Order: sequence, then C-alpha cells, then structure tokens
Amino acid sequence: MASVTLKNIRKVYPNNEKKKKSKKGEPVKKTNLKVTKEGVLAVDDFNLEIADKEFIVLVGPSGCGKSTLLRMVAGLEEISGGDLFINDVHMNNVAPKDRDIAMVFQSYALYPHMTVYDNMAFPLKLQKMDKAQIDKLVREAAETLDITQYLERKPKALSGGQRQRVAIGRAIVRNPKVLLMDEPLSNLDAKLRNQMRAEIIKLRKRIDTTFIYVTHDQTEAMTLGDRIVIMKDGVVQQVGTPQELFDHPINLFVAGFIGMPRMNVFDAELIKDGGKYAVKMGKVVVDLDEEKQARLAAKRVEPQSITLGVRPEHLTLESTGGPMLHGTVDVYEMMGSEIHYHVTVEGKDVIIIVPTIGMKDVVPMGSDIPFTFGGNVVHIFEKEKGTNLEF
Amino acid sequence: MEKALKRWFPLFVLPTLVAFIIGFIWPFIQGVYLSFCQFTTIDRTTFVGVQNYVNAFQDAEFGSAFRFTVSFAVVSTILINVLAFLLALALTQKMRGTNIFRTVFFMPNLIGGIVLGYIWQILINAVLSNLGQPLLALNSKAGYWGIIILMCWQQIGYMMIIYISGLQNVPGDLIEAASIDGATPLQTLFKIKLPMVMPSITICLFLTITNSFKLFDQNLALTAGEPAHATEMLALNIYNTFYFRAGPQWKGIGQAKAVIFFVLVVAIALIQLRATRSKEVQQ
Amino acid sequence: MKKKNGIGLLGTIFFSVLAALYMYPIVMVVLNSLKVETAISTSGAFELPTGETFAGLTNFVSAISSQGFLKSLFYSVFITVTSVGLILLCCSMCAWYINRVHNLISKLMYLLCAFSMVVPFQMVMFTLSNTADKLDIFGLRFNNPYTICFIYLGFGAGLAVFMFSGFMKSIPLEIEEAAMIDGCSPLQIYFKIVLPILKPTMISVGVLEAMWVWNDYLLPTLVLDIKKYRTIPMLIQYFRGSYGKVEMGPMMACIVMTVLPIVIIYIAGQKHIIKGVLDGSVKG
Repeated sequence: MASVTLKNIRKVYPNNEKKKKSKKGEPVKKTNLKVTKEGVLAVDDFNLEIADKEFIVLVGPSGCGKSTLLRMVAGLEEISGGDLFINDVHMNNVAPKDRDIAMVFQSYALYPHMTVYDNMAFPLKLQKMDKAQIDKLVREAAETLDITQYLERKPKALSGGQRQRVAIGRAIVRNPKVLLMDEPLSNLDAKLRNQMRAEIIKLRKRIDTTFIYVTHDQTEAMTLGDRIVIMKDGVVQQVGTPQELFDHPINLFVAGFIGMPRMNVFDAELIKDGGKYAVKMGKVVVDLDEEKQARLAAKRVEPQSITLGVRPEHLTLESTGGPMLHGTVDVYEMMGSEIHYHVTVEGKDVIIIVPTIGMKDVVPMGSDIPFTFGGNVVHIFEKEKGTNLEF
Repeated sequence: MEKALKRWFPLFVLPTLVAFIIGFIWPFIQGVYLSFCQFTTIDRTTFVGVQNYVNAFQDAEFGSAFRFTVSFAVVSTILINVLAFLLALALTQKMRGTNIFRTVFFMPNLIGGIVLGYIWQILINAVLSNLGQPLLALNSKAGYWGIIILMCWQQIGYMMIIYISGLQNVPGDLIEAASIDGATPLQTLFKIKLPMVMPSITICLFLTITNSFKLFDQNLALTAGEPAHATEMLALNIYNTFYFRAGPQWKGIGQAKAVIFFVLVVAIALIQLRATRSKEVQQ
Repeated sequence: MKKKNGIGLLGTIFFSVLAALYMYPIVMVVLNSLKVETAISTSGAFELPTGETFAGLTNFVSAISSQGFLKSLFYSVFITVTSVGLILLCCSMCAWYINRVHNLISKLMYLLCAFSMVVPFQMVMFTLSNTADKLDIFGLRFNNPYTICFIYLGFGAGLAVFMFSGFMKSIPLEIEEAAMIDGCSPLQIYFKIVLPILKPTMISVGVLEAMWVWNDYLLPTLVLDIKKYRTIPMLIQYFRGSYGKVEMGPMMACIVMTVLPIVIIYIAGQKHIIKGVLDGSVKG
C-alpha cells in the first residue's frame, strides 16, 4: 500500500561504539567494511525505489548490512545519512510507531506473557480501536494463518512454526503500509521452512502490501522476491528480478551467491578471432553466442585473461565433437532426477549436474570424466575485479 | 529506542539516583572525608590527616576485634561449608522426606539476627547454667563458640540450598558414565561431583566469608561483645567506637576504622571474585 | 531410574531427629512464652510448662498491650512493604534505562551499584544517620518510619539494580523493538512488556529485599527516634538493653509473634523464597 524510496542511505557506527551483535550472538565480522573517519560504514550509499505492493528481498552474507538497512526503514536504527520516504513522506525522524509499518523478527519476538490472541490484538489496542473491531480483525488474521485453535495459548506452548505464524499474524493484523521481515524463516527446520515459504507466497497474494524481506538464503530470495537486492559489505552489488540475477550476474560475488550449487569458475582466456569472441581453456575453444558477442563488441572488450563462470547444470557430458575438458570424479551424489558429480579439474573443485533421464552410465568415482559447455551459458568476468565484462 | 527512552530519564532513573545519592554515595564520600577529621558532629570538623588511622591501629580493642573476627570467619566458614555440603549430598539422595528436611534446615536463615541472637542467648545460657559454667556475659570461650554455633544454625541451610542446586545441575549421564567407567561412589564424589559444583563452592565461600566479616546483629544480640570486649567483632567494635566511647577523638577514629574495615571487605571480595573468574575460565 | 540406596529408611529417621533438634530453639521459645513470668529462669529454659507454670496466652496479651508490639508490627510491616515496593518499581525502571541507554551515567550507575553491594554498612553508618537526621528537603525529613523507606530505596538500590540488570540482559531486545513498532511509547513498553516479563525476577528481588528490610536492626535504630518509633528488631533489642527487670514472658511472646509469621509465610511461599535466595546468590 505504499512506495518506499531510499536515497543515498548510509549507516555509520562511530568507532568507539561497538557494532551491535548479530542475531546469533556472534559479533558481526566487519573486516571488509569500509572504515572512514566517522567510524565503520555498515551501509554505504544505498539507493532503491520500491514500488507499491512490491516484494523486495534484501540478501547477502551475514554482516553485509541488510538487517541494518531494514532496521533503518523500521526506525529502530538511526539513519546516518540520506533520506527515507514512505509514500513520499520523509521518514528519517519519524518514530517507528508512526511509520505505519509492521515487522516480523527472526526470533519472532512474541510477548511471552500474553496469549496468541493478545499478542495479535496488542498493536490494535494501542491504536485504541474498539473491541469488536479488534476481535474481528484478529480472528480474520488467525483464520488466514490457520492458528484459530491456538488463540488462547501462550507462545511458550507453541511450536516454532506456529510461533512464526503468530508473529506474521501480529504484523498483518494492523494492515501496515509496509511489512518488514527480518530473516523470518531462519529459525525453522528445513521442512518447515519450505512450507512457510510457500505460505508467505500465498499470504502475499491475499494481503496487498509492500514487503521488504531480509534473508541470507538465496533460495528464499529467488522464490519470494519480485526484485532482489544483493548486498556485500554494506554496498549494493546488484538489483534485479531473480531471473536477471541468475542469468546476468553483475560480478563474481553475485554469480556465486545466486544459484545452488554455486557457479563453477575456471581460469580462461577471452580471445577474439576474426571479429568473433570466444573463450579458450587449454585446447578447448568455445564460441560465444550472438547476444554475448554483441554486448562484448558494444563495450569494445579487449581479449584478456578472464575468470569463466559456468553453472553446474550448464556443464554437459555430451560430446560436441571437438576437444573436451577433463576432470576426475571425486564423488557423485545421486539425487534421483539428477546426479551431481564432484570433479577435480586441475586442482579445482567443479560440480557437474547431469539429468538422469536419458543418462547412459554413471561415471564411477576416481575415473576420468570429459565435459564441456555451450557458448550461451558462460559468464565472463574480469580477472582482477571480478566484474562481468558483458555489462 | 535509545533515543526515545532518553527523554524519560527523570522518571526512570532520577528517583533511584536521588535516593542512591542520599542513601549511599553522599554518606560514603562524607565518610571517607571524615576519617581524616576530628569531629563530634558533622558540622564541626577539624582536619587531622592520618592521625585517626594511626590511633585506630594502635587501639588494642580494634586489634583484638580483628583477631577475633578472622578466627571466627575461618572456623565458621569451614564448618558451615563442610556441614552444608554433607547435608546437601545426603538430601539429594533417594530418601523419604528430603523436601521437608530442606525446608526445616533453611528456615533459620529467614529469622533476623537480633531475634536469633536472643533465642540462642537463652538457650546457651540455659545449657551453661545447667553445666555449672559462667554465663555468656562472663564467658568469652562460650561466647566465641556460641556465635559459631549460631552462625552455623543460621547459614547451613542457606548454603545447603546452593549446594543442592549445584549438585542437581550435575548431569545424570556424567554420573552414569563414571559408574560405567568403574568409579566407586567415593571416586564419583571427589572426581566428578566436587569439580562440577566448584561454582557453588566459590559462591558459598564468598557468602560465608563476607557474612562472617560483616557480622553485627548476631554479635550484638548474643554477647554484645561481653565480657570486656572479648567477643567483640569488627563491625560491633566500630559501632561501639562511634557511640559508646567518651572523648572527642573517637568518632573520627571510628570512621577511620570503618574505612579500614571497608578496604578489608573489598579486598576479600576482589580476591574471591578473581578466584571465581579463574574457575569460570576452566569450565 | 529408581535407585535403592542404603540411606533410605535409616536416613529418614536420622534426619527426622536432626530436623527436630534443628527446630528445638524455636520450639523452646514457644514453650517458654507459655510459662508464667516466675517460672522463666535461665536454667529452667528446657522445662516444659506444667499445669502450675502454664500461663496460657497472658504473655501474648501483655506483649501486645503493654510492650507496644502491635505498633512495632505496624512500623515493620509498613516499612518493609513500602520500601520493597519502592525498590522493585524504581530500581527495575532504573535498571531498564541503564541497560538500554548507553551513556556515561548508565555505566557509572551500574558500577556504583555493584560497588555498593560490597560496602559494609559501618562505612556509611554515621554519615547516613546524620544525613537522615539533618537533611530537610522542603520540610521533608528522613527520620520517621514513612520517609525512611526512601533511605532503604537508596541503600537497597545496589543489589536490586544489579540483579535486575542481570536478568534484563536475558530479555531479547527484539521483543521491545516489536512493541515499539506496534505503537508503544517507552513508558508503555516498560509497563506492558518489560514489567510482566520481569515478574519472576521481581519476586526474587522482592524476597531478598524484604528479608533484609524486615530483619534490619541497625539502620532504623540509627535513623529513627527509638523513643517514638520501634520496628520489631528494635523493640526486642530495646527491651533487652533497657535497665531494670526485663519481663521475660512478654519478650518470649514477642519473639514468637515475630518468628511465627515468618515461618508461615516461608512455608506458603517456599518455592519463591528459595528461588529468590538462589538467584541472589548467583548474582551476588
């Protein structure tokens, strides 16, 4: 129900003040954070326009500043610099309760001394809403989240998944302009997490509001987000739809972060032969496809040593007729629909995913495995900085 | 949060802070200052430097109170802790009525020192008179052991509770593992239980030592230092110096003694704290 | 898991006897309080009251009517309840503030509170009683049983703030942040969220402070005018120390009337009291 605009947002922790500990209690690693005269730069020059009803996912490794950013939107952290607008209203100095936002915390933060009903009714009571209206809204929300039968229980008597629902219920019951979620699923076990993820997708269809969702899990980011913001060391790396991020990672970090298992990287050469770009690894030369040719040509990229990225599912054992790359199978994991080969290629670990449909034989452990890739699936990164040479 | 809360300082902190200043900080500072003065009332003070301290150290009664207190503290600390630990061991066994026994042994701890002192004065005097011995007011030996018995009676239950909670926190698997490894009950006690309840032991030692040093009410009620200050402990000696000695110099000396007493107690607390810390590192 | 230990029945018998002995001093006072004045002697304290020496409740009646026991009871109860109430409310608020607002005052306050716990009362005995006597804030004096509670707040603050701080650290900050987003002002966060969560700690701190205030002898003796106001410990010590013949019977009755309520409260709230004492020992 609201657009959110973040302009040049910065967060600086003064040097003398220790950075708050992260959720799990271990101090945030800030080794790579920029340190200026003022202190440690936890978030640097963050710009983002979030459209009304958009689902934005902030993702990155721990300590990248994503939670700090979320807490600044919530008003729990002071904004050191830049401007925050919600529905074009300047919010920097507005108290959290007046921002018309709701937040779901990683630890759920349920009030332990109140029943589920009271937990959900609490924000409404504070708004001095009348009892009947509160009752109606709480029951509706409980219905939506399927927790009606627990309304009279205390949080202590609930399982993790149920608590999670209550926390979400407390947030949606007040119909906030923006719904903030701070790693809401990370305290659940794997099975529940998948289930809740699906629930959140469904929930999103039912309630029309703007979501900002923080996670360190790329799967959550990919499945939930309309757009994903990838952060590292307080700096935005790339903003885009899940598909964009997957297909065109802007640098090695994004490439490694999105996609599971991680993208394989090789040392290779970008060569230009008769106006055509190709990548060369040892004897193997693969011509790039039209699209990549055009982009590289437009940027007038010179032939050079590169880091080549190929996703595991894009490596193939099918022979192209030409020379193949060679590795040794360390282990393979049979996943049913596909098989994951963990291969050593010139001392580097490489993963190859092969669909089991139409597969001839499993390559045994310890034996040589020839593989290759197509010119349409490679990612070409500058050797030193790791930036994608196409963009 | 911090920002929003900051404005509420007058409501959240000020009442406590003002009371704390009136009830502790100001009297403390004044106390330190006055220990260097001669005074009978606080309005009329003459600075005398360390003279009060010199006098305090030369005061024979203060010296004897110090020796009495140390000797009392050592004996009572050992007795209380050994007995309390044994009691805790026994009352964590499978046995009928352990809860009632715990209740009973803990109870004297709730009764105030003055009342306790009085009860025991009656009891001990009755015993002494039946034995044909001089009563407490004339019998310093009985006074010494009387205070020790009284303190044991009061504190054993308290320490027992702490030891019991320590013993109950020793994981059952550990005891079982030890017995599978072939440890005898005695070995289990010394090699497993005792090291595991080390934190409780330090806490109890700390509590009993400081309690012993600071002891006042019980001392006052049981013997009031009789006969002839022979059973007077430090706290009581300071009290008497302040209020029952004639001469303009004694209030200053009393305050100097109080400062010495304070430094002594803090030193003990610090040593104890360090010991606790080093134990914590080990675990 | 049921282990048969040799200690079983024999142990029960042994400890029953020991417990009975342990209780004897109190039983003895109760028995003596039932004797007539002339039958209470130093050497005869062990004798049971017989038909001849049994005094019924006359000692209790006389303690109440002539010794001012009820008045002392009132003072003791009033001072204890008010002081503990003040300590719980003010110190928990203070502890919350100094745990959430990180500035110099907070740090200093915390350190001073921890420090004050080790300082023996004798250190401030003279100056404190003097301050209480002389201090006059807009006509408000601190030498009566009503305002002495404020002194107790000051002197009890150390332990209370220290203990509350310790437990405050275990409340996840996120709960308070959630409340803040839900629309609470700091005052509402404190009363609607923090205070209810702190309830178990409140009970523990309350038990410890109540035990201290109720039994405290020296502070009220020095601060209050003993001719006008006597708390129960003061009453007992006052009559013992007074010259002339001490009426033993009513004194015994006083003691019984002091001890019995404590025993009853203890048995009723044993769980909380023991938990309180344990919490206090861990933090202390």
